[in-house]
Amino acid sequence: MVKAEAVHKSFGRLEVLRGIDLEVAPKEVMCIIGPSGSGKSTFLRCINHLEKIDAGRLSVDGELVGYKQRGDKLYELPDAEVCKKRSEIGMVFQRFNLFPHMTALDNVIEAPMRVKRENRAVASERARTLLERVGLGDKVNVYPNHLSGGQQQRVAIARALAMQPKLMLFDEPTSALDPELVGDVLDVMRGLADDGMTMVVVTHEMGFAREVGDSLVFMDGGVIVEAGKPRDVLANPQQERTRSFLSKVL
Amino acid sequence: MPDAVRQRPAAIEAVPVRHVGRWVAAVVVLAIAAEIVYTLATAPNLKWSVVSHYLTHRLILQGIVTTLELTVLSMLIGIVLGVVLAVMRLSPNPVVSWVSWIYIWFFRGTPVLVQIFLWFNLALVLPFIGVGIPFTSIHWQANTNTLIAPFMAATLGLGFNEAAYMAEIVRAGIISVEHGQTEAAQALGMTRLLLMRRIVLPQAMRVIIPPTGNETISMLKTTSLAFVAAVPELFTRSQQIASATFEIIELAFVASIWYLAMTSILTVGQYYLERYFARGAQRGLPPTPIQRFRRMLVTFHAPPPVPEELPVRLERPH
Repeated sequence: MVKAEAVHKSFGRLEVLRGIDLEVAPKEVMCIIGPSGSGKSTFLRCINHLEKIDAGRLSVDGELVGYKQRGDKLYELPDAEVCKKRSEIGMVFQRFNLFPHMTALDNVIEAPMRVKRENRAVASERARTLLERVGLGDKVNVYPNHLSGGQQQRVAIARALAMQPKLMLFDEPTSALDPELVGDVLDVMRGLADDGMTMVVVTHEMGFAREVGDSLVFMDGGVIVEAGKPRDVLANPQQERTRSFLSKVL
Repeated sequence: MPDAVRQRPAAIEAVPVRHVGRWVAAVVVLAIAAEIVYTLATAPNLKWSVVSHYLTHRLILQGIVTTLELTVLSMLIGIVLGVVLAVMRLSPNPVVSWVSWIYIWFFRGTPVLVQIFLWFNLALVLPFIGVGIPFTSIHWQANTNTLIAPFMAATLGLGFNEAAYMAEIVRAGIISVEHGQTEAAQALGMTRLLLMRRIVLPQAMRVIIPPTGNETISMLKTTSLAFVAAVPELFTRSQQIASATFEIIELAFVASIWYLAMTSILTVGQYYLERYFARGAQRGLPPTPIQRFRRMLVTFHAPPPVPEELPVRLERPH
């Protein structure tokens, strides 16, 4: 589903990604862990072209992200096509980023109606089902500011799912939550994984990574230090750097 | 916990501090205000009967209509063009961004009085105005003086000038919206224009509305500059009457009273508009002045600034 080959990315003179190679299979749940500044969020944002990569190849579902290849030449995709590609990938942010001027329901139906041109009845129907599924069936007409962090994040997940994405990206979805609210969000994500959604999750929740993840990637300094089955990497890290990171967070 | 069962002690009853200074200040201020009012009310050369006579004079009322028309039209031009200029200014296209910058630079950098004057006298430079497609016979032109009549000159002058200020206000509003909002909208596949229209601008409104209200109130008064283009608005009318009757101060008072009345109405309108765009940003909408007044009648003191609703209950993990 996602394939990265030697992906490089710099912000000015700061090299954030220094050659990332990985592959996410359909229905796989990949968790990415690592210290802050290791480039894991940046990599996630490259997958839906919120950031442009400088070198290497990055493709989703067999198609390059942000470019089209004809012969041996790369052509930048026009904005409209970049938008279309993005609409097929769901993203959940650390700070939720719900639209504060819209109710939970309006947040969820906005993109299906405006981007996919679905009619209101169809979009609302699915939105209600999704909000029900994330446990917020009674909060349909509530504005985000009236919801707790955990509820907001679940609305954000419903909003991303409403576009019926083939891939979901999670950027530290529980890092801004009070500890007692983390569980609800992780439950929703676990349910998604069980339903066979392909997911790339940047997280600090080692328990989630161990139980739900199919693969685990440890990044540091813009490279992948270690990757493998979550149980193996967490229980028996091969690299010294991984060991010292895990000893601090576990 | 044993502390929790302890009885609550009696509420404190103490002799309040006497704020002597506040009383003195209030008396002094009131005395000065009374003196000013008395002087004006009894000034021998200020004929209040003339003021009240002309207050509802037909020409004055016509002037008010023209003033309102000028205000509405100029603000419309200002707001629409201002939004366009603000979006242009933030465009990734450098040429588009620069054109907006130059527009704002020019129209903000020259006095609006001069701009109205220039539009009014445009015919001196360009006797005819026309549009056409080059290398074809499709062409249309008109006499500048008929095309830009005094009212039009004033509207264009005021509106184009206002657009420059509105552009800066709108731009500030757009910038004030958190970047995460743009990212979330992009991640959902929204194009730049769509996310601007549906996500960013509605949120920017909360920042844009208060200064826009100020601009409208200010515009209502600035329309008096249309005097130089001989547009028959409120001030021009009052001056026309004054030059015939020599009751200069009285008619200036008439105009002032009307301007004050209209700006007062706009101030109330602005309050309700701000309240509308605050939805979602605050837990409960602030009470309207009428609601506040009613509550004051019941409790006999101004309401304390408590939120309308109880804070949201955090849910427990299950």
